[in-house]
Amino acid sequence: MLNPLLQVRNLSKRYGSRIGCEDVSFDLYPGEVLCVVGESGSGKSTLLSTLALRLQADTGTLHYTSTEGDSIDLLSLSEPRRRLLMRTEWGFVEQNPRDGLRAGVSAGANIGEPLMAVGARHYGQIRATATQWMSRVELDTSRIDDLPASFSGGMQQRLQIARNLVTGPRLVFMDEPTAGLDVSVQARLLDLLRTLTSQLQLSALVVTHDIGVARLLAHRLMVMQHGRVVEAGLTDQVLDDPQHPYTQLLVSSVLPV
Amino acid sequence: MTLALSGQHIAAVDTLQDAAARQAFDSDPALMVRARGISKTFTLHTQGGVEIPALHQVDLDLRQGECVVLVGPSGAGKSTLLRCLYGNYLASGGAIHVRNPAADATDVAAATAAQPCIAFTGASPHSVVALRRHLLGYVSQFLHVIPRVSTLTIVAEPLLLRGVEAAEAEMRAGDLLARLNVPRRLWTLPPATFSGGEQQRVNIARGLIADHPVLLLDEPTASLDAENRAVVAELITQARKRGAAIAGIFHDEDTRAQVATRRLELQPVLRAVA
Repeated sequence: MLNPLLQVRNLSKRYGSRIGCEDVSFDLYPGEVLCVVGESGSGKSTLLSTLALRLQADTGTLHYTSTEGDSIDLLSLSEPRRRLLMRTEWGFVEQNPRDGLRAGVSAGANIGEPLMAVGARHYGQIRATATQWMSRVELDTSRIDDLPASFSGGMQQRLQIARNLVTGPRLVFMDEPTAGLDVSVQARLLDLLRTLTSQLQLSALVVTHDIGVARLLAHRLMVMQHGRVVEAGLTDQVLDDPQHPYTQLLVSSVLPV
Repeated sequence: MTLALSGQHIAAVDTLQDAAARQAFDSDPALMVRARGISKTFTLHTQGGVEIPALHQVDLDLRQGECVVLVGPSGAGKSTLLRCLYGNYLASGGAIHVRNPAADATDVAAATAAQPCIAFTGASPHSVVALRRHLLGYVSQFLHVIPRVSTLTIVAEPLLLRGVEAAEAEMRAGDLLARLNVPRRLWTLPPATFSGGEQQRVNIARGLIADHPVLLLDEPTASLDAENRAVVAELITQARKRGAAIAGIFHDEDTRAQVATRRLELQPVLRAVA
């Protein structure tokens, strides 16, 4: 598909008189991973939540291209249609996996529920699909009936990713997917995300404060400061040839390994 | 043509450059890359805004079947020029146009399908990603090591991105790694622990495997012994004879002599301007 999956124009979200995110415009194409980086308070999480329709935008337009090729105006979408979109075509990976999982049901059920929400009924097939996905995110499949709380943080995050990807979404939002994880776990998770986004031709919008994550995961990068996008472009170009003073500061501040 | 505002002036100049480029690409079917007046100055805001000029008004044409070797002292801007041609650096001035690969690519915008060339400077990130997939190959000096990905997968990746089946991609990757004397026992390992020379050969394999029509090679033989330098020189020559348009930097004179069809001399900017 040659048309952008998501078209954002002049999107703004304020908290009273304070700027959350201001005047953000970009296109996102199928199969592209776009990272939004910025320090605490830069507006990146506000932007992500506004794009995912969790927050009401104040100004701007937001269009999404459906599987049939129609352009949907997301800001005027009815609540039922919004929920349908989130169930069938979108995913949202929370920073804290416990916010994105159901603690009261098993790992397998966490993966199977989204399938049931889109109409799957055959218990055996649902369980088989859940097993496959656990294996894909490198979780021990014999633990399919264990509760999420019995898994480590890194495992819970991988379980959350499986729960989000099992329905084959076209667009996944991720809010700091590796924050709070050990570096070795982080490496495994990034590797998994890289592979899956490429294999499944997923578009992903990833918010992170970690430039290393962006370098590894993203084709494109947007740098935010004080609610605005100060620089945007190809990841390798923005990191190797930063133009904006703030980007140069960010890049030069990364501790070498 | 009257030029009223500075904004219009810039747009008019771009149109003139675009028109000149289109004519050049139309009249010369072997032309793949056309760079005119390329300048690059780095402004270091974290150092009080000091400006470092790296390139000044460089012209370069790359045509099928040739290998242009960039020569000049350290700091002359050779690497910078290659990076501008790949879109890794943003040129401060000048224009780069590339042959439109639309015939092979389905993800290049339909609007430009009829054009012989595409304006590379100022192209959207999405377009540059597509051009890197189908037109521009790049071998950098250093392998960006991705944790946990096996050597074979790293080398096969450009083919996988083009839609080649995994089995075939891995077979071709293996062939190329074998040619570059990377032992089979290393293929399943991530290259992080390899020697510099081994990493460089993995880098070269990944850069050459997809037969890009344009190849940009930044010191591909720097860490290699004589035997492997010869293998790489042979691979480059084969690519050139297949019709690739190649620009490369090689510090070793033997390799240069083997692969070059012509040389382009660059001088550090301060010397040139002074």
